[in-house]
Amino acid sequence: MPTSRSRIITALKDRASAISVFVVVILLWQCESSYGLISQFLLPTPVSVVAELFSVTANWPAQIYVTLKEVLVGFFFGALSGVGLAVMVAESAFLRKTLMPYLIGIEAIPKIALAPLIYILLGFNDLARIIMVILLVFFPIVLTTLPGLVDVDRDLIYLMKSLGAEETQILYKVRLPNSTPQLFIGLRLGVLAAVIGSVIAEFVSSTAGLGFIIISAQSTFNTSLAFAAFIILALLSLGLYGSVELVAHVTMPWYGRKS
Amino acid sequence: MLGKRYRSVDGTIIEAIRDVSFELVQGEVLAILGPTGCGKSTLLRLISGVEAPSEGTIERDKDSTFNIGFIFQDSSLMRWRTVYDNIKLPLEILGRNDPKKVDELIHTVNLTGFENAYPAELSGGMRRRAAIARSLVHEPNVLLMDEPLTGLDEITKEVLQTELSYLIRKMKVTCVLVTHDIGEAVILSDRVLVMSPRPGTLVDEVRVQLPSVREPAVRSDERFSDYCMFIRKRLNILHPLREREPH
Repeated sequence: MPTSRSRIITALKDRASAISVFVVVILLWQCESSYGLISQFLLPTPVSVVAELFSVTANWPAQIYVTLKEVLVGFFFGALSGVGLAVMVAESAFLRKTLMPYLIGIEAIPKIALAPLIYILLGFNDLARIIMVILLVFFPIVLTTLPGLVDVDRDLIYLMKSLGAEETQILYKVRLPNSTPQLFIGLRLGVLAAVIGSVIAEFVSSTAGLGFIIISAQSTFNTSLAFAAFIILALLSLGLYGSVELVAHVTMPWYGRKS
Repeated sequence: MLGKRYRSVDGTIIEAIRDVSFELVQGEVLAILGPTGCGKSTLLRLISGVEAPSEGTIERDKDSTFNIGFIFQDSSLMRWRTVYDNIKLPLEILGRNDPKKVDELIHTVNLTGFENAYPAELSGGMRRRAAIARSLVHEPNVLLMDEPLTGLDEITKEVLQTELSYLIRKMKVTCVLVTHDIGEAVILSDRVLVMSPRPGTLVDEVRVQLPSVREPAVRSDERFSDYCMFIRKRLNILHPLREREPH
């Protein structure tokens, strides 16, 4: 059995080339800053970005809290309503015929363009920002989960019916578990879309949050601050994506197994 | 006389089976043999009651209960359930809890030690064993088998045919086996119904008079070869083999 230390060393060796690229980019960036090839107004030094990350003036915990709250609440309700609609559409051929063209059509339009309209309809408040996040999360989850609920091994349905199973039993024991891999594809896309939705909503109107920091930094040409907020956003997205991956791993221990 | 018609995706009506009539006797193993697409599987779904016939009726003995076990082509296990949980599924649906029966069947089909494995981790033969155990766990009185061993290599198939034959005789379960494998039909059944290509109709009935316990040695029995040859000829009349035209 490999020890945890040897596992870490192996993992680092596997990722050595990727880590090297990161180190080289940072070094090149720092070298460029030292020679002043590009104005610091346009491209701040890595050191100034790191300093901004540790500065107390931006009040990062408060900004992260605002954005994370919008992302999580919007993601939760977007995912819940997305799965709910997917189940309803999967269970009813009538709804499938009626709603599918609209679902696909709405997914094709850029929902970000709706942001100003949502503010006009709902006012400049948290609810409008959360609705924006829900809109971006909802559609990918419906459209990825639906095939998993519908494309089920026909023989499994026959088996359940031959045993006298009710439609709800078929849903809980066959359709929903069958759709979990696709659901998690939707959740992965959805969680990243939630961060985008939150930032866009904050760009349009907000008084706090990481999107607000970026838009404020733009107006004062404080690129170090904008870069720092961007790095935090990237880490936030990675963390959320990783959390969904972890839940997928725990929920589907069978997925990806081979004989 | 049973008949079944479907509407295909492009709207045309497809007649799967026409004027099929037979009796299933309690305790017998009945094989339905015919070419691909002749409506064998449709017939099985009609017997199970998951589909209704377009014409005709299925009559059941009023005194007997109708408790079905199903084995499908490709095993159709739930990939998200372990072997144990797949096998206990029928008990769950019927609201029964009998872990002893599940353990007993896992042992009978030689899957001891693989209870917590997922279907993707099993070989094709092991998946079929799990499917066989699942079909018998609730002690059905009718077992419907839809090409249960198709796609397996010859060695595994012969081993499983022997084991399946032993199990169904031991459990005294009435069986309907749908297959396009002549040898499988003869080795497992008491009676073979031969079907024509679509729309499937019954064209012949062959009673297989071999020892009820079909040991592997039965394959070397002259009568086994005779039955296979006879059925093959019946099928060849339906599907005349064309000789290749000389260039």
